[in-house]
Amino acid sequence: MILPSFVLILIVTGFPLLYSIYVSFTDYNLLRPGSDVFRADIMFRNYERLINDPIFRRSLGNTILFLFVTVNLEYVLALGLSQLLARVTKGQGIMRTMLMIPMMFAPILVGFQFRWFFNAEVGLVNNALLSLGVTQTKIAWLVDEPLGMIAIMIATIWMNLPVTTIILLAGTLSLPSEMYEAAEVDGAGAWQKFRHITFPMLAPFTYIALTIRSLDVARAFDIVRMMTDGGPAHRTELIWTYVTRLAIEDSRFGMGAAMSLITVVISLFFTVYFFRQLVKVRIVQ
Amino acid sequence: MRKLFVLFTIALALIISGAALAQDSEPQYAGLDMDLSGITIRMATIGGGQYEAMYGSIPVFEEATGARVEIVALLDGFAIDQKLKLDFATGAVDYDVAWDHTSFVAQYVPFLEPLNPYFTEEELAQFSPAILDAATINGNLLLIPRHADVSALHYRADLYNNPDIAEAYRAATGMELTVPTTLEEIDRQARFFVQNGYSTYGYGMAGKEEALTGRFYEFLFASGGALFNENFEPTFNDAIGVQVATLLREWYRDGILPPDTTSLLWDGDAQNFCNGDVALKLEWYGWYSYFQDAASCPRIAGNFGLARGPIGFDNPGATHTGWAGAHAFSIPAAAQNKQAAAQLIKFLTSERVAYEEAQLGFLPVRDDVWARLIEDASRSDVELNRIRLETARIQINEDFRTPPLIAEWIPFSNIFFPQLQAIILGDVEPQAGLDAAAEATRQLMADAGYYN
Amino acid sequence: MISGAVAPRKRLNIVLTNTLAWIVLIALALPALWIVLTAFRPASEINASPPIWIPREITFDAFATMFGLNPNVRQRVAVERYLINSLTIALISTTISVAIGTLAGYAFARFKFRYHTTAFLLLMFSRSIPGVALSLPLFLLFVRLGLVNNLLGVSFVYVAINIPFTVWLMDGFFRQIPYDLTEAAYIDGCSHWQAFWRIDLPLALPGLTTAAIFAFLASWNEFQIASVLTRSVDARTFPPGLFVFTEQFTVDWRGMCAMSVIMMVPAIVFVILTQRNLVRGLTFGAVKG
Repeated sequence: MILPSFVLILIVTGFPLLYSIYVSFTDYNLLRPGSDVFRADIMFRNYERLINDPIFRRSLGNTILFLFVTVNLEYVLALGLSQLLARVTKGQGIMRTMLMIPMMFAPILVGFQFRWFFNAEVGLVNNALLSLGVTQTKIAWLVDEPLGMIAIMIATIWMNLPVTTIILLAGTLSLPSEMYEAAEVDGAGAWQKFRHITFPMLAPFTYIALTIRSLDVARAFDIVRMMTDGGPAHRTELIWTYVTRLAIEDSRFGMGAAMSLITVVISLFFTVYFFRQLVKVRIVQ
Repeated sequence: MRKLFVLFTIALALIISGAALAQDSEPQYAGLDMDLSGITIRMATIGGGQYEAMYGSIPVFEEATGARVEIVALLDGFAIDQKLKLDFATGAVDYDVAWDHTSFVAQYVPFLEPLNPYFTEEELAQFSPAILDAATINGNLLLIPRHADVSALHYRADLYNNPDIAEAYRAATGMELTVPTTLEEIDRQARFFVQNGYSTYGYGMAGKEEALTGRFYEFLFASGGALFNENFEPTFNDAIGVQVATLLREWYRDGILPPDTTSLLWDGDAQNFCNGDVALKLEWYGWYSYFQDAASCPRIAGNFGLARGPIGFDNPGATHTGWAGAHAFSIPAAAQNKQAAAQLIKFLTSERVAYEEAQLGFLPVRDDVWARLIEDASRSDVELNRIRLETARIQINEDFRTPPLIAEWIPFSNIFFPQLQAIILGDVEPQAGLDAAAEATRQLMADAGYYN
Repeated sequence: MISGAVAPRKRLNIVLTNTLAWIVLIALALPALWIVLTAFRPASEINASPPIWIPREITFDAFATMFGLNPNVRQRVAVERYLINSLTIALISTTISVAIGTLAGYAFARFKFRYHTTAFLLLMFSRSIPGVALSLPLFLLFVRLGLVNNLLGVSFVYVAINIPFTVWLMDGFFRQIPYDLTEAAYIDGCSHWQAFWRIDLPLALPGLTTAAIFAFLASWNEFQIASVLTRSVDARTFPPGLFVFTEQFTVDWRGMCAMSVIMMVPAIVFVILTQRNLVRGLTFGAVKG
């Protein structure tokens, strides 16, 4: 039952992974034929340089911050929204469809759009703030530190809130209703039901959502690339914007591969951590 | 049968060209004199409204030669660059004609077909020698230019036609308010416009990526500096480099530049000028028809002027700005139908097609087309049309400066521009920022084998 | 929770909940609304300063241009082609990844076997490899296999990308179903397969639906791999197609937004058709209780 999944995944990700590992030990430049040949003197050079590269360290820090804030905030908002939607009595169908609207736009378009929403001169956000009198000066959202980071977080959360919400909503809807009935007989209020039934029962879904979103946020970068592309002055540099610039724009594919692999290793730790949590939750059940 | 067809085509071409000679005013096609029946020429090229108009003439070529032309990719400049790189690297080239650009060509050298065997001296005679020079690497001509662009000073004309502003300027500085010809004048006037509320911002520029690197580059060489010395060691962190970087930093600090400059690319920057928020800027001629269009830019259409780029800071070797480049066509070394591809390039860069494309506002790279345009403009009612062409021609002949023709131009730019942004935003001191960029650049160049 | 006599206080609560939900959802939809409005605006209103909030007139120009109905502008976008390509790829990859992924998820949830944990982790791990690192080697591989610019080739990649997510999700949902039910089915003489098909799968329908919606939208919107693996209009999907509207220096905002609106229609239809199963899952749950 599992075999087809593995065969497919091995072909699609196994080969690229092995290839990246090999290339990361070379000075492969896309436009320099023959540069992908292994040379002993270059072997660890990419990794050595990365460890000493202040921009890489900064982008790593930014990525972790971005990941932490986005995933957690998204989760809290999604938890609230899913509980709200689960209680709605009329128009659930329309609401669910509406909820998923942000997911229906391609991330590159969302990135483009939010870049203009946050544009200092003609952007909607500033125009709205100015007409409401919240601010008197035009805010350079995409330039400011930390507003630039906040802007890309807002766009990412906007686009992906439905993902987490749907997982939690589907999870909530699949909870056996007799538990609630029993709780009601005991006179439990809404908050108590949430605190003692819904939230703990949702734990597996919580970890699924957190894991998937962590991995996706860590790799998804269409939005960031379109909005700030890591700039200005590396203020919003994430690993993926940096990797893409090095590997594709600069043709320094060997270096890019080395950087990708470092982050894959970091993602591995995340995955294992969340998996452990998930297993713990299961045992409690 | 085929021979007959060829003869017929040649005869037809002769008749057409004869008729044209008689009239002496019809621009000519080229590249139609070969029978290419049954050949499919595939092309990967730049897309986007204005760029695509030219491809509308391709049916003429197909009709005359019997070839079929298939456009397999239409992408914007950066996207097509990335596609070419991936295709070259992986051997996936499946086209015969590829877009090219003078700023990018050095990267593609190992993968391009030298064009010298396909073009006669005579066929190349009309093209600007400066551009052909920039496209010749190790004695091999690697591209045929399509149209060029060079940055010119754009200014809001209302600021310079208003006697009150002129009077105020005289009172404040003791000088006449005329369109600036030096960087120092730009600095003085831009500050004056902002401080007295005549313009929201004094100067506008795109503040990221190659756009930022290029703007620094032109201020630098115009002030007598250079990015690299002859051994390709970075020299931009010298006193002149610091001078230019400090100017940009102070402009930003003092609100001369829009606050989000470092997040703007071409489109956002041009939008600010279009909205009338920016007094002065260096900008490509390619924007002309957009700025002159009252529907898109009601504030500045008919209300802006063009001038030659300013002279930089007063150092030895100071000159006019003039960051320039040319869009072009190349033949990949892996192309299937090279001769046919050359014919298509001859056609697309012919006098007739180039003349038609120049009607959209692009600057031509052929002398014969220039002559026609200037003659046309002398009959135009819009004075700026004439000034524009005269200025552009001077700039193309005298100020045309491409970025260094090295494969590392974009990788260099990606190292450099974030450091310059950090300087502009005040995250780092000018000297320290430039030194850091120079250090990283040196490593890049060393890896590429420049110092061996 | 829903049935029973409704006290006035409870009724107020319901009204409040519904209102609040609408407010949140409408707020969430605002940026989307702006994108849709942009598609129908006259070009001069876009990025105007000061801004024009409500369009002064509605125009279909952008759509006319896209479908080649505007005589002055050459048709630049093969919308029909993109639509067929995107739908084919999204439907194929969704169907396969949900089918395969559900089976695997069931196996992980219900059976013990060697390397259970390792296999599960490996699946997840495969999702952590970023698109940039995937796209070039995949391209190299697919060129050799003749899968470049091929609808099946792209679908294939999306299946692999969507499987880990599907497996995790389905594993979670299957575990949620009390094992007593499955056991009862075995006692009644059901085979593993029958138990899966008759008992577990219907009960996990909300999960299946969720997985299907995500897989569909992920394939529908994926840009990076599609832009490398599809090389001509024959196989290109919508997201790389959006790039036609970006030019060297400018972006045709209206055209881009119009295309996004067109892109949204099949996605909305898909979501409307499938999201009902989220409700059905609830009713099954109620029946079970």
